[in-house]
Amino acid sequence: MVALPLHPTSSQYRCPRCHALLYRRGQPFRYIIVMAVTTLALFVPLTFLPILDLDIMGLKAQSTLFEALWMVYKDGYYLIAFVSMMTGLLIPVIMMVLLLLMLVPLHFGYRPRGVALWFRLYEKMREWGMAEVYLIAVIVAIIKLLGMGTLHIGPGFVLFIFFFLTFYITTVWFNPEDIWYEDAMDY
Amino acid sequence: MKMRWITDIEADRQLCLHCRKLHPLTVRVCDRCGEPVHQRIPHSIPVTWSLTVAAIIFLVPANLLPMMIVKSIAGEDAGTIMDGVIYFLEHGEAGIGIVIFTASIFVPFFKLTVLFYLLLIVHFGWRRRALFGLKLYRIIHFIGKWSMLDIFVVALMVGIVQFKNLATIVTGPAAIAFMLAVLMTMFATEHFDPRLMFDKEISKKPETKQHEGIDHG
Ligand SMILES: [Zn+2]
Repeated sequence: MVALPLHPTSSQYRCPRCHALLYRRGQPFRYIIVMAVTTLALFVPLTFLPILDLDIMGLKAQSTLFEALWMVYKDGYYLIAFVSMMTGLLIPVIMMVLLLLMLVPLHFGYRPRGVALWFRLYEKMREWGMAEVYLIAVIVAIIKLLGMGTLHIGPGFVLFIFFFLTFYITTVWFNPEDIWYEDAMDY
Repeated sequence: MKMRWITDIEADRQLCLHCRKLHPLTVRVCDRCGEPVHQRIPHSIPVTWSLTVAAIIFLVPANLLPMMIVKSIAGEDAGTIMDGVIYFLEHGEAGIGIVIFTASIFVPFFKLTVLFYLLLIVHFGWRRRALFGLKLYRIIHFIGKWSMLDIFVVALMVGIVQFKNLATIVTGPAAIAFMLAVLMTMFATEHFDPRLMFDKEISKKPETKQHEGIDHG
């Protein structure tokens, strides 16, 4: 246990025992809000734009990220479809929504009643968001499919890369602890 | 530069793991974020043990049964995790083969070995190894989710390759077993309280009073 100085938000602190970073202020809320909104905006077209077109001996198939998981669900592997959908796609989106629910009111100077709940949900989801793993999985699947037929990358794939990048930047910029410190908010 | 510190147990305090507010021992629910507060994660060691053992059991079918089954005019081809790795190595995609091997075979094995080691550190009170254990703990915390890679790949392949009689890919039973094993190692890591490795004395929290006086030396 270490007592931090009274105005802790201006510099960063490390644990003297294990050297873990104890606190470093995140970016200003207005930047984080812009990034989170961009992430959500990129997600909307992902729901209907195909990630690839596959052509095997004249038979064509197009697939979006959601259609692929829908097929797994229809095959009866509900748990795999559900966990993949949540960790790979929906948890990052829900995290962005929770973040906006916290930061937009705080940015405009008032503290909404649900902020503690949004904070707890956000913290719990942080462990379970796996958009980066999902992105690499899409690339591996594409390489695997190259051997099966003619393949064209769809716009959904490019969008997914940008979705991941903006999501990643948002989570790195945002230090959830800052919502408790008044002096971290108004700069 | 040497800095001095006292632990929460020495100071009779407890930390909210969610918002990191310090509380006196009488507090049960964090007044800042609403999460239940404990000085150490409750039942951390038995829960971590159970989940680790369960993950090992699930890894057996996960590695022996097929991950996905490719049905085509040429017949049916069921492949295990290792078959998938070998496929890439043989087809000149060694890089992808190594990625899949690392994510699906090395990472789960490494995670379980580390979890065992951490549990032993706490069990035998090897406090001089606690710092090293903590480093390992951070590593497995960071790499844990990458084991899901092969599951996502299978889900995508199954979802995309649906060409009636020409070529269809079906999920194999190993996928479920493997996913459950991965989720269990992740839950195990979350339930392990690394501070237990450093603790010299037993917590004085009111609800654990009955343990006082038992000397674990
Ligand atoms: Zn709290």
